[in-house]
Amino acid sequence: MERFMIIGERIHCISPVIRKAFAERDAAPILQRAKEQIDAGAAYLDLNIGPAERDGEEVMMWAVQLLQNEFNNIPLCLDTANKKAIEAGIKVYNRDRGKPIINSADAGPRIDMLDLAAANDAMVIALCAKEGIPRDTEERLTYCTEMLERGMALGIDPNDILFDPLFLVVKGMQEKAPEVMETIRLISEMGLKTNAGLSNVSNGAPKHVRPIIDSVFAAMAIQCGLTAAIVNPCDQRLMETIKTCDMIKGNILYADSYLEL
Amino acid sequence: MAFKTSVQKYTGSINKLEFGSGENSKALGGENVLPFYTFDGNIGGKPLIGLEILDVYPEKWLDELQQIYGDAANNAVQWARFVEEKFSPDFICLRLEGADPNGLNKSPEEAAALAKEVAQAIKVPLVVAGTQNHDKDTKLFEKVAEVLEGCNVILLSAVEDNYKKIGAAGVLAYRHKVAAESSVDINLAKQLNILLNQLGVKNEDIVMNVGCAAVGYGFEYVASTMDRIRLAALGQNDKSLQMPIITPVSFDTWSVKESVASVEDAPEWGSQVERGIAMEVSTAASVIAAGANAVILRHPGSAETVRKLADALINN
Repeated sequence: MERFMIIGERIHCISPVIRKAFAERDAAPILQRAKEQIDAGAAYLDLNIGPAERDGEEVMMWAVQLLQNEFNNIPLCLDTANKKAIEAGIKVYNRDRGKPIINSADAGPRIDMLDLAAANDAMVIALCAKEGIPRDTEERLTYCTEMLERGMALGIDPNDILFDPLFLVVKGMQEKAPEVMETIRLISEMGLKTNAGLSNVSNGAPKHVRPIIDSVFAAMAIQCGLTAAIVNPCDQRLMETIKTCDMIKGNILYADSYLEL
Repeated sequence: MAFKTSVQKYTGSINKLEFGSGENSKALGGENVLPFYTFDGNIGGKPLIGLEILDVYPEKWLDELQQIYGDAANNAVQWARFVEEKFSPDFICLRLEGADPNGLNKSPEEAAALAKEVAQAIKVPLVVAGTQNHDKDTKLFEKVAEVLEGCNVILLSAVEDNYKKIGAAGVLAYRHKVAAESSVDINLAKQLNILLNQLGVKNEDIVMNVGCAAVGYGFEYVASTMDRIRLAALGQNDKSLQMPIITPVSFDTWSVKESVASVEDAPEWGSQVERGIAMEVSTAASVIAAGANAVILRHPGSAETVRKLADALINN
């Protein structure tokens, strides 16, 4: 089995520091967050430039080259609703260490992100949602199947689609958590890959509790088959949990210092 | 439709480690497929075959072996020259048995001085093996590393007890290569590599001695350990296991009963030296098939046979 894929979430324009850095093309704060995440064990970095309707193409190209030049072509997840920006990013993207991931398509208005992935030989995160929050497991699977069929018709390798069952906040939608687990299990049983936007689950919970909810949620989801997650790799408890899951599942070989790698 | 052979591709590959100096250096590893899987990809360098010599006269070796070397075996420098000229091994392994505290207990200085003379007398790269007494080996290798600076030898071996001093002196200070020794335990093999790495030793300067046993003496554990190490290194791209492997086969095979029992004791088994060679060849053939990149052998006849086998498998 392959190792669990950790996608670092910290280059996100919701952070004022990063938003400002994008606007001013200030490399330092972006490189710093990238380095922290890579050192902590991120395999991919999410690059969220926001809706970026005005200068998305330039920002994406600038950031892709900045990160890949500095960090030995670290693979990236291009995260924006602006399709032209994604295309521009892919044009300058180096694939030596992995295909770009488009973040994200859904079964509704953003289904054409699948077309974009197919046209550019990219991987894509596919949210199992159409309008609002899916009612139940069955509805999630319906969307999964719709996107899978469309992707395959377009010639995408099913392994290049990371299905995201839509992780929801526990505080307020507690009853959805078992549904998410069940969805991962069912999608995994089809031999498909899954991704989690993990930090959503602990939103609103006290700060000291969040890493616990995130880690346990991750461990349970990994046992259901989860193969990737967008997370904060600087969360030590979470990273230790994921590495230990990898070790227990046999994805990495045990050594006394396995947590230090 | 034409038949298309399917190929097993791996994401990882084995580090290439060079030892010896200048144009006479030799490389270990470099493969990105299982041993001899020429049909799958790059098998790297040929398995290297080294011959074992001692820093003292080989009193305990069979008469037939003593006769091959004659007077040369009285002096390690002449012995090394003799072996190099007559048998052209890929490397020579000088085993510092005379430094063993349970034997002659030679000082590290004396043993190291001899090792230096040997290194200067030969062109092929040198592997220096210790006494297998961890305390003594620590002092021994610190001295050997110092006087052999520039020769880029392999120090065989560092274990969990002494890796810090041997790694620091051998690799960090005097830039040799170090063999990380574990006893047929995949988790410990990985751990020792990590520890050396955390000390500052680069993965490219480490070769693994993952332990050995003569065939018939728990060898299946050796084979499965090597197999799993290679599959983790190649399939899981585990950087902490991508070191080449060196296996001192002769250290084990010449002390089991098939090699030790005299013809008088076991007349039904036939010639003692033939048995010794057979044990050595079977074990060496098995470890190179399981993933060893270099083997250390004692009988020149074994070396020739294993070389022929490896060449035939590669050039089929």
